[in-house]
Amino acid sequence: MRVLTPEGDHLDFMTLNMGPSHPATHGTLRIFCALDGETMKAAVCEMGYLHRGFEKMVEQGTYSMVLPYTDRLNYCSAMINNIGFCKAVEKMFNVTVPERCITLRVVLIELSRIIDHLVCSCTNLVDLGALTNFWYFFNTREEVYKIWEKLCGQRLTNTVTRIGGMYRDAYPGFEDDVRKVLVKIEAAVAEVRGLIEHNKIFIDRTKDVCVVSAEEAISYGWTGPCLRASGVDRDLRKDEPYYGYETYQFDTVVGETGDTFDRIMIRLYEMLESVSIVRQALDRLKPGPVNAPDARLSLPDRDRVYHDMEALINSFKLIYEGVRPPPGECYDAIEAANGELGFHITSDGGTNPYRIKVRPPCFTQYAAFGPMCEGEMIADAAATLGSINIIAGELDR
Amino acid sequence: MSTAAGKGISGEGDVRSWKREPIKPGKSDDQLQALAAERFGLARDAKDRWNLTMTLAAGQAKAKLHEVVRVLRDDPELRFDMLLDLAAIDYLSYPNHRGPRFAVVYLFKSLVFRHRFKLKVEVEEDDAELPSIHDLYRIADWSEREVFDQMGVVFSGHPNLKRILNHHEFIGHPLRKDYPCQKRQKLSINDPMVDQLESRLKHFGYQVVDSGEVHLGAPIAAKHQSVAEQGSVDTQKQKNAAGAVGAGGI
Repeated sequence: MRVLTPEGDHLDFMTLNMGPSHPATHGTLRIFCALDGETMKAAVCEMGYLHRGFEKMVEQGTYSMVLPYTDRLNYCSAMINNIGFCKAVEKMFNVTVPERCITLRVVLIELSRIIDHLVCSCTNLVDLGALTNFWYFFNTREEVYKIWEKLCGQRLTNTVTRIGGMYRDAYPGFEDDVRKVLVKIEAAVAEVRGLIEHNKIFIDRTKDVCVVSAEEAISYGWTGPCLRASGVDRDLRKDEPYYGYETYQFDTVVGETGDTFDRIMIRLYEMLESVSIVRQALDRLKPGPVNAPDARLSLPDRDRVYHDMEALINSFKLIYEGVRPPPGECYDAIEAANGELGFHITSDGGTNPYRIKVRPPCFTQYAAFGPMCEGEMIADAAATLGSINIIAGELDR
Repeated sequence: MSTAAGKGISGEGDVRSWKREPIKPGKSDDQLQALAAERFGLARDAKDRWNLTMTLAAGQAKAKLHEVVRVLRDDPELRFDMLLDLAAIDYLSYPNHRGPRFAVVYLFKSLVFRHRFKLKVEVEEDDAELPSIHDLYRIADWSEREVFDQMGVVFSGHPNLKRILNHHEFIGHPLRKDYPCQKRQKLSINDPMVDQLESRLKHFGYQVVDSGEVHLGAPIAAKHQSVAEQGSVDTQKQKNAAGAVGAGGI
């Protein structure tokens, strides 16, 4: 591509397609850029390669049938999506789930946040050529997946919650397993911090690279760790607490400059905060029911179904028709691993959702990616793409 | 807070200054409702019983939307500095629905105050057009593209109103209720995106003399292209040794 510079010189820019199937994109994203040597002079992004019509599909089935689809939004932390969706529908019913369910959900949210950050951080470091961290973090993640497997039989796409409660209570020994894995997570984070925090190559590659100021991040609608990396101390768990987050002791981790270094380090420190929340939640986990005692949402006991006509009808109606939220429109959000994950649900009072709009946190981050990279080195763009943690499943829906 | 001076990223929408301080309580839904009714003549939407939604009627949207959103963002008592999302709804088969067929819901959040606001803008089927607010929020650029792609609402004044989730050859708007769920379409060639790249270069003061040979083709072809070219870039100039591992060391 031949261009005329403002100074009147002729330059040859090379146009380059990075993706859609490039290893550094960790999914299917396309970045089309004009290169002057190794510098990206202009970059435009394309998405939609993983678009499968989530919002159209969910209109075809019942509310319970939406749950497995939500797993496939951010598949690195599927449980947070399950819980976010259930929380939104429960809000429409004005139902509060039992205490044990809330505490279990907090444990699952925070553990999911940890494994999401583990994947994001270590693959990001692989993009920078630091492969060792990958083994430290993926081994730890595997330990969490073993817990998931015991908890609900699934590793990646869990569908662990139900509207009004959980699929089932935690298995005996769940708490011990989680406590053991928390120690491993802390050890792994310490190892990785030891490897990178004062590593000259890592710092040179990430400090002051692809800086996003607080103002720009807000204008782009960033939320979550990326927003906090730019120095904006906003976290839904602190600002608009749900599930009793205001009663847990934890800090919001905030960055200084909003560069790639901050975005990577924030996730490492946030994992430690999440470990602390999980410990506190386990301490207050008391035995009790996990499903809301509400016939509109929860299946009756199996025993009652066989002996009680009303319970049989209730069970039948819930399985064949599912829940029927009152007609209207409701938005509810949750602090997912990537930022604010919101569900805008329109109900017509029927068994199928009339319309569900997902507010995926990484849509806003990817919108800023092109402008972020302009003027930076192409190799740094690969590292930055990892640091804003684009999950194509939730980006493209 | 130390932001690297002069390293700002360039985008279409302007940005408001940000000062780091704890979040303030903000206004209750009732106060916001009274304020919106008094200042803009908006009515509360009866469909939303859980959050505050104010409706802007279809006839007024073109004239007032941009101004309403600007006040929501800039008013020192409101400070809705974040546009979270745009949710478009098609009421074609909604039971007992009266009024225009479409609505676009603008979800706002304030980072200064602990309050949220939903602005529902009604859109008529035969005049599905709204003014763009991409100059107020940078994210509006992509959010509006998504609404256009999925629901077919046009945003006048948008710099690049292309499809975003669907392929550029796609016909129709899939989230409309009359779009059949099982319908299939044959889509062939990728969007070259040369026009977008050229407009970005123009933004930085470069004038494109010759677009040259630009590689199109299916995703797989693009992959080979990018891998091959990228390798050559990095071996050409070993300016950044670790970078070669990052992007080109495949």
